Amino acid sequence: MLAKVIAARAVRLIATLFAVSLLTFLMVEQLPGDPILAILPPEALDDLDNIERIRKELKLDDPVLTRYFRWVGDALQGDLGKSYITDQPVSDAIKDRIPVTLELAFLATLMAALLAIPIGAFSAYREGGYFDRAMSGFTTAALSIPGFLAGIFFIWLFTLKFNWLPSTGWNRITDKGLFANLKTAILPAGALALAPLAINARLIRADMIGTLKEDYVLSARAKGLRDRYILMRHALRPSSLTAITVFALQLGGLIGGTVVIETVFALPGLGTRLISGIYQRDVMMIQGITLFIATIYVVVNALVDVLYVALDPRIRRQ
Amino acid sequence: MSHLFRRFGRAFLEMPLVVKIALVWLVFIVGAAIYSRLDRILGQALPLQDPFYQPFLFGEAKPVEGPSSAHWLGTDILSRDNLSRLLHGSWVSLIVATTVVVFGLTVGGFIGAFVGYTRGKVETLTMATLDVILAFPPLVLLLALVAVYKVRNLTMIALVFGVLGIPTYVRIARASTLGVASREFVQAAEAIGTKRRAILFREIIPNIMPALFAYALINAGFVIVVEGTLSYLGLSVQIPEPTWGNMINEGRRDIRQTILPIFWPGLFLTLSVVSLNLVGDWLQQRVAVRSSAL
Repeated sequence: MLAKVIAARAVRLIATLFAVSLLTFLMVEQLPGDPILAILPPEALDDLDNIERIRKELKLDDPVLTRYFRWVGDALQGDLGKSYITDQPVSDAIKDRIPVTLELAFLATLMAALLAIPIGAFSAYREGGYFDRAMSGFTTAALSIPGFLAGIFFIWLFTLKFNWLPSTGWNRITDKGLFANLKTAILPAGALALAPLAINARLIRADMIGTLKEDYVLSARAKGLRDRYILMRHALRPSSLTAITVFALQLGGLIGGTVVIETVFALPGLGTRLISGIYQRDVMMIQGITLFIATIYVVVNALVDVLYVALDPRIRRQ
Repeated sequence: MSHLFRRFGRAFLEMPLVVKIALVWLVFIVGAAIYSRLDRILGQALPLQDPFYQPFLFGEAKPVEGPSSAHWLGTDILSRDNLSRLLHGSWVSLIVATTVVVFGLTVGGFIGAFVGYTRGKVETLTMATLDVILAFPPLVLLLALVAVYKVRNLTMIALVFGVLGIPTYVRIARASTLGVASREFVQAAEAIGTKRRAILFREIIPNIMPALFAYALINAGFVIVVEGTLSYLGLSVQIPEPTWGNMINEGRRDIRQTILPIFWPGLFLTLSVVSLNLVGDWLQQRVAVRSSAL
């Protein structure tokens, strides 16, 4: 049964990836104006022979579909073309920048998960109490504050007012060690974690309120087990299923979400490269990074679907 | 008409206090946005400071003033009036959010209800197409589109947002239609030979609208955040035309001198999104209770 689900999802995944790549390609392809105008400096445009030569060299005169399949074929081999502006291969830029983005997304997911479990569990345990109500206010606020605003606020508070942490820049784990790295990563990751934290806390709370009404929780209480034990062992475990799925799903979304946060904190991640590509109208860079981020997102979503079925026997039997 | 007002009045009285405050805030923002453009419509000046006017050039005010009777929320680094810039900025958020909601409710709602009720190949094809758009992380797709096509004016930005917003509405409308289409009153209508088009417009669409509208409010909050983000990155409506996002971006440079030019748009942005979420959540619960009672 599981194999069948995986096979079906894999087919859908490939179809989606095909469509996503085509859309990304066409988006740039439909661009008004001749790409040659973007590549060559204005003074080189008088020389028509030269223009034709470069057009041939870059194979820009092939039909659209030929070029699309060549682009995808190259992409599958890890070649996303070269920036017209800096001449840097797009794949090198991605390789260079992805560690920062991945670390941020991972750290944010971790923070969101670790904080959400106790908050959600305790809110559910004392449903309607002071803590629950305070947390409901907090989650509403956290869901409504845009990430970049939270980032700026963190910089203002922790750098300008308290002077605890640096506001911009990045220490590589390999250069300066874990502690120095975390010092530069904690604020952006925190700003990034706010929204998923709120979502997770709400989900876990809602899920646990349901679980706590189950008969087996009642019988565990009747046995005289301690509340904390019941909460962690009996109630959290069935609830963790939804949670794991959501956490994994967020990791995919956060890779897109880091784009802005990286810009706020001026971090050398994939997002800042995308944004600088946008400012320079570096078409190859925009195309390549968009395809890359979308691919991760699509693949993570597919994995989550499969994970969900694999973890939940109820769905598996359907 | 008076019947509608009474129903709304009763609903308003039933709201918890925070939801009432949220609704009042939203009305205020909509009013402020319209007021900020009223001079262009009426063709005469209204008592509101020019958001581009830099009085310090004429020795009338200093940059970075605190709140005063002349400038209620202070001035920014170019001595422009924060309040009038905020009100002007709310117009951009209002237009973008309204466009998405209108597109979503009409186009998205109709497509969703249509494919959900007629089913078949059209449904499969439509949903598969939409899945591709939904496969992109929303902000990244917007960034790429806006960047590649150099979209910078309000009309085009609102259109891009509006079109890209449609898929989620279609999904939700379709899902609710699947639920509604199997209910007794639809079966009854089919049994007495009502035309399918009439069922779609008179039975299905009116019944899926409340839930879709509740989603639209929450979605509007999301849209305001995304537009704010694009503005912050300088990829939406361009300065000097103020938007909440580009005010925050401009204020960012001067964060060491004054936090006010960031604080106010940040506050307006967050309060508006919180309000939309609160009213949307409240409506969603009400709709859920009503449909479960049926």
